[in-house]
Amino acid sequence: MDSLFIEFFHNTGFYLWDYRYLLMICVGLGFIYLGIAKDYEPLLLVPIGFGMLVGNIPIFKGLGLGIYETNSVLHYLYFGVTQGIYPPLIFLGIGAMTDFSTLLARPVLMLLGAAAQTGIFITFLGALALGFAPNEAASIGIIGGADGPTAIFLTAKLAPDLIGPIAVAAYSYMALVPVIQPPIMRLLTTRKERLIRMEEPREITKREKIIFPIVAFLLCCFLAPAALPLLGMLCFGNLLKEAVVTERLAQTARNSVIDTATILLGLTVGASTQGDVFLTPSSVGIFALGAVSFGIATASGVIFAKIMNLFLKSKINPLLGAAGVSAVPDSARVVQVVGQKEDPTNFLLMHAMAPNVSGVIGSAIAAGVLWSLMAKI
Amino acid sequence: MYGLEAINASNGWAISVVGVTIVFTGLVMLSIVIAQLYKVLALWENPSKIKALFKKKQPEKPREEQISNRVVFAESQKEVVKQFALLVRTMTDHFSLPRLLQLALISDLKDPYLNLNNLFKTKIIVPDGSGFFTWDKDMFDKLIS
Repeated sequence: MDSLFIEFFHNTGFYLWDYRYLLMICVGLGFIYLGIAKDYEPLLLVPIGFGMLVGNIPIFKGLGLGIYETNSVLHYLYFGVTQGIYPPLIFLGIGAMTDFSTLLARPVLMLLGAAAQTGIFITFLGALALGFAPNEAASIGIIGGADGPTAIFLTAKLAPDLIGPIAVAAYSYMALVPVIQPPIMRLLTTRKERLIRMEEPREITKREKIIFPIVAFLLCCFLAPAALPLLGMLCFGNLLKEAVVTERLAQTARNSVIDTATILLGLTVGASTQGDVFLTPSSVGIFALGAVSFGIATASGVIFAKIMNLFLKSKINPLLGAAGVSAVPDSARVVQVVGQKEDPTNFLLMHAMAPNVSGVIGSAIAAGVLWSLMAKI
Repeated sequence: MYGLEAINASNGWAISVVGVTIVFTGLVMLSIVIAQLYKVLALWENPSKIKALFKKKQPEKPREEQISNRVVFAESQKEVVKQFALLVRTMTDHFSLPRLLQLALISDLKDPYLNLNNLFKTKIIVPDGSGFFTWDKDMFDKLIS
């Protein structure tokens, strides 16, 4: 009987523990705390944080419990991540939630969404310089797009081994948008620029809203066909929303589909951060490059807005450039908060949504471009 | 391999430039199309605007007519214009404008400056290019008779 107890004890987490598991459990608890107490992207950080707890319970191999064991339930759920199934489903939901009106009212703001994607390619160069392989560097660079599903999708295609650290880095920085972006925005703008008021956008007809997802899909996917899985679902979701007659489908996409995909994606990505697999020097490098990427993306958007002001008659508030990263709607909210600190009567949120949603399109195109270019290497 | 050497070996510079260019091209194209979308839809909803577009491109003569039609003569003004026509008949085909104005003042025509201006606007009096003017009888018949 004693030997049975001893054998059982040898299979418990108390016997199998390792400092790396403990460290990751602490990170997971930190995520849960940030999500619940600080309200930083709770819909993402709470599932990922709990997933970290799930993935870092020390287990003995062979019973089919761990996410990296081929016969485990978690492994089957993780299939949606490694094969890039969940991200397009999330994009479907995002499309069904997003209102492109402000973008349609002032299409020039779309350029800010393009400018912010510069961060992706600069970080790609940085990752190459640090010794990452081109496919890994491309996956790290996409963190600068500040779009978790896009980062996971591209990494699943190019560097599946890095999904854990890249997904965690991408979602961490998305959650930390209110902390990372404001200092960069203030550093690059003068008070006078932050006080600029935007013109009232024109009214958008229903017909324009219906045509937009079709035109955007055709145009962008003809140019970058590899963006098809993400942009296709985004535009389809938006068409369901705007067509009105498909409201029931739109409602399912924006509620049940996106929620299910987010839960499964968050939990399994969190569980993939198993201490012994996750805590490597390359993960540290990925986190550092992710932060740089995010900073460059924010700065690129703001600087490009200032350059645009040199040519525009009706000036735009350069803070809007920071919303070019596609963390929807957090970066738009940050623009509103920073703008209102200077002038409480200046409402920038509505205008910031234009570069914000164009950032989603831009990062999906960037992912498509990187995927197709890397496939040829 | 690290640093610039690694970037060069992986063709990193070219990939970055191509990537940024494609992203910008895509979004610029989309923004241009969106910017024109509401204009196209406005035409679609109001086909008469399309006809108007083509009308503008028709030859010069109808355009002149449009210009001449902008001035609408009241009945009293038509009488004055007819008196101007009588004065012109007393002059040569290529007449001097100051002389016509002088005759109008002598004849005590009503509002001679205003009516002379209207004759210009309606192209009933047209310059001949050598400092004199001619009377366009067709236009006069069309607008006044």
